Amino acid sequence: MHDLQLLGVICILGVTCYAMRAGGYVLAASMRDDGIAARFLRLAPGNLFIAFIVGGCLSGGPAGLVGTVVALVTMAITAREWAALGAGFGAALAASTIGW
Amino acid sequence: MTTAGFRRGLVAALPFLLSNGAAGLVMGLTYKGLGLGAAHAILFSLLVYSATAQAITLSMWASPLPIVAMVVACIATNSRYLLMGAHLRQLFGGLAPRKMLPSLFLLADASWLMTSSDADRNGPDAGYLLGSSTPMAVGWVGGTALAYAAPLAANGPLRLAAALLPTMFIATLLPSQWKNMRSPWPWLTSAVIALLVARFGDPGWSMLIGGGCGTLVSMMEPSDA
Repeated sequence: MHDLQLLGVICILGVTCYAMRAGGYVLAASMRDDGIAARFLRLAPGNLFIAFIVGGCLSGGPAGLVGTVVALVTMAITAREWAALGAGFGAALAASTIGW
Repeated sequence: MTTAGFRRGLVAALPFLLSNGAAGLVMGLTYKGLGLGAAHAILFSLLVYSATAQAITLSMWASPLPIVAMVVACIATNSRYLLMGAHLRQLFGGLAPRKMLPSLFLLADASWLMTSSDADRNGPDAGYLLGSSTPMAVGWVGGTALAYAAPLAANGPLRLAAALLPTMFIATLLPSQWKNMRSPWPWLTSAVIALLVARFGDPGWSMLIGGGCGTLVSMMEPSDA
């Protein structure tokens, strides 16, 4: 495959991905602050967190589920991200080692 | 957009140097296996900067490259960024677009989720978005480069960290979101729908569809609280 052709494809895909990243921001300029769409966006983050975590747990298998639950519980108790991530990763590694 | 916000985001997202680095390494090793040169692989991770888009375009790799199909796949897998961008406009609408648009080049799922959570705690600060995006991008692109620079194999703890750390990190944001909840129904809806979509449909859409359905349930509740 020609180097220049490959470079062109990478640039086209790069521009496409950036257009998706910036597109929502640019288009939302025409949105009313008190409209339904604005309220939807205000309420979306927590629900998207949950959906993201469920998808991640499913692809990560039992070890991923154990690690995520341990990280969540540790965060709720300690309110320290580093402690939560350390405990979660340790639990996931242990679960993975014993074959979960 | 403040320096303090940038610093706060940078420090908070430092674990992503590890997870994105490991994931970028896996991606780099795959590119290496395809016969791509280091410069092209690094440019791919730098310009496209999307694990899902890069994984999907990798699966479509052929000679000649199916460019139109790859562009459509990038649009489909990254359409969630439209929603994230629209939400960021709500937070940072007062900022001039020339300040925000370059930052969006580094927008990632995790940096958006972290910025949303930080805005609830400390108020909107676009510096946080840029700060939290930076370790993620450095890890991703650096990991891809490392695949060419060092004789490494992505296995064991490295692969596990790459796969699990983003999910665990977002899980640590949940306690701060819970205080805003009026009932568990929206989150239950999000979880169940995301599970169904991931299990029986396209896992790449599970966050958007699951979270969207949960948000619709939230909207039926009496207030935004």
